[in-house]
Amino acid sequence: MKNSENILKNKHFQLLSFLLTSARGCVDEPQIYGPLRLLDAASRVIELMEEEKKITPELLTLKEKINRCIDVLMYDEDEFVKMLDDISKDLGRIIKDNNK
Amino acid sequence: MELMGIIKGRRAVRKFADKEIPRENLVKILEAAIWAPSGSNTQSWEFILVTEKENIEKIKLISPGLFGNPKALVIVCINTERAKKGGREGIEMAKMDIAMASQNMMLMAHSLSIGSCPIVSFNKVALKELLDIPDSIDPKLILIFGYPEKWPRAPGRRPLKEVVHIEKFGEHIEE
Ligand SMILES: Cc1cc2nc3c(=O)[nH]c(=O)nc-3n(C[C@H](O)[C@H](O)[C@H](O)COP(=O)(O)O)c2cc1C
Repeated sequence: MKNSENILKNKHFQLLSFLLTSARGCVDEPQIYGPLRLLDAASRVIELMEEEKKITPELLTLKEKINRCIDVLMYDEDEFVKMLDDISKDLGRIIKDNNK
Repeated sequence: MELMGIIKGRRAVRKFADKEIPRENLVKILEAAIWAPSGSNTQSWEFILVTEKENIEKIKLISPGLFGNPKALVIVCINTERAKKGGREGIEMAKMDIAMASQNMMLMAHSLSIGSCPIVSFNKVALKELLDIPDSIDPKLILIFGYPEKWPRAPGRRPLKEVVHIEKFGEHIEE
């Protein structure tokens, strides 16, 4: 990759930039924004896996849940945490089922 | 639309349709900004309008709290040199001034069926570097604009009877 215009369109670079600016932001922002940024990053990772054709239907469902969870934060923080638990459970199941 | 309808109907919009905002509407939005009140009429504000897609994409890279694909951004800044005219409280006052200018812009936008969202979660150091913003200018808020894909539902509000105090603190309004 030679010129910088190319790198700006690179999804990995976009994620990198998001992670670095989030790291700085989390120093000053409300605590709950930490999980929010991590979820956003997780959703972007699944998008990358999708583009690289390394995706499974379970992960696509997980991405939808993650995006719904992000939307919920502004309305209901308790529900947000419940959804995080639900996402964690799904992840546990995905790992368990792939270990068989 | 009557004023209360515009005030209550404005939402933080984070998903936008793929439709350009006419230039004259952006000018109207910016005009609404400069007619906000400011302490001692100091007007210690500067507004950077960004509409080029490529530039918006660059700003998105350094703004973790900026969601969706807005068609225009207004970066609302404090001119700290001018704010000094407001005395020791100058910067505090300038923050109030830009908040009022920002609300004017968002309400004007809503009256034109344009959605908006204030964004504070962006990296100031990187933004200043990216847009050649001088040291004396402090970018405080990014307002994003676009036609909403759909208007989101309203997050709750603390009720009047909780936040309003009558004559002295702690005496609440009857509903
Ligand atoms: C000073 C300020 C900073 C904000 N920063 C962000 C932000 O970085 N990202 C975001 O998505 N929303 C941001 N918002 C939008 C708020 O989350 C939103 O206004 C609030 O949830 C109430 O929703 P409503 O505007 O639809 O009534 C900000 C709002 C204000 C006033």
